[in-house]
Amino acid sequence: MKNFKILEIKEGIFDNNNKEADLLRAELKQQNNLLINLMSSPGSGKTTTLVSTINALKDEMKIGVMEADIDSDVDAHTIANTGTKVIQLHTGGMCHLDAEMTKQGLEGLGSEGLDLTILENVGNLVCPAEFDTGAAKNVMILSVPEGDDKPLKYPLMFSICDVLLINKIDAMGFFDFDLEAATTRVKKLNPNIKVFPISAKTGEGVEAWTNWLRGAVKDWQES
Amino acid sequence: MHELGVVFEVIKTVKNFVDKNDLTKVDTIVLQIGELSSMIPKYIHECFPAAIDGTEFEETKLVIEIIPAAAICKGCKHVFNIIKHKSQCPECESLEWGMLTGKEFSIKEVIAC
Ligand SMILES: Nc1nc2c(ncn2[C@@H]2O[C@H](COP(=O)(O)OP(=O)(O)O)[C@@H](O)[C@H]2O)c(=O)[nH]1
Ligand SMILES: [Mg+2]
Ligand SMILES: [Zn+2]
Repeated sequence: MKNFKILEIKEGIFDNNNKEADLLRAELKQQNNLLINLMSSPGSGKTTTLVSTINALKDEMKIGVMEADIDSDVDAHTIANTGTKVIQLHTGGMCHLDAEMTKQGLEGLGSEGLDLTILENVGNLVCPAEFDTGAAKNVMILSVPEGDDKPLKYPLMFSICDVLLINKIDAMGFFDFDLEAATTRVKKLNPNIKVFPISAKTGEGVEAWTNWLRGAVKDWQES
Repeated sequence: MHELGVVFEVIKTVKNFVDKNDLTKVDTIVLQIGELSSMIPKYIHECFPAAIDGTEFEETKLVIEIIPAAAICKGCKHVFNIIKHKSQCPECESLEWGMLTGKEFSIKEVIAC
């Protein structure tokens, strides 16, 4: 009979991932590579927003994209058409990416020399909020058809993000989405969050967002 | 499912611990989950077999200890359960209190050799 004993661990469940994420962030800082973790529900417009963002910035900086949509490489092809470096990550059915998977993705992408890398996370508002990927900034998209009460249902996601893009504002007339109510709810959870209403389709509002992003890259590389 | 990723994270942490301490067999993993944590113990139990399948922990058992959502009243210092008393001190009816426990979500210990 073996001698079993009780061994104390006393570690938070996310401690290990948080440590790996901090190491990755420090590494990316050394490399002057700003990693953005882009999150939303499926269909909110992550890929469409990526394409318009890349088209606005690709002439002034080197951009890379990591696609983590489950079991599909449609999105990677869409991005590849913009001429940007892109890799499709296979998450094996997982509902989020952790720091270790992100690090492997960056290696696969060949991220040296990039100024900006955008990770399109798995479409989901719960799990990605709890796993730090090592990104410098978290950005989420809420689209008009989803409703202005989403912040009430997914408070953690809205609290951890630096930027909220409210997408599909071209469709505002068809839905009873109250932009002011949504903004107030989000600011209550997270007073420092930047909110940009955009239409990835028509390009409306996109410039304010890409201006912010340009500034974030500059701050990351110069501070 | 949401809880599955978290259970994988538990297994990863335990694996690190096992390697670091030269353990050969883990009989039980004990988690502590607060009543106000976002995790639902029932779902954690349901995901566990899938997470250990085909690993060295295939025979390992899972125990979850629930930590009550306790608060101390800022007025009368009474300690009470936040959920049971609907966020209000049962002694003086104050709504001003500080949380003592209830948001935990950690790996407490393993029974191993
Ligand atoms: N009307 C409108 N449709 C959009 C907008 N952005 C994206 N879409 C559409 O929404 C659908 C999902 O977009 P996609 O970028 O694939 O979302 P993802 O799943 O978050 O990557 C597609 O049919 C897009 O054409 C927008 O600003 N306005
Ligand atoms: Mg997509
Ligand atoms: Zn009291």
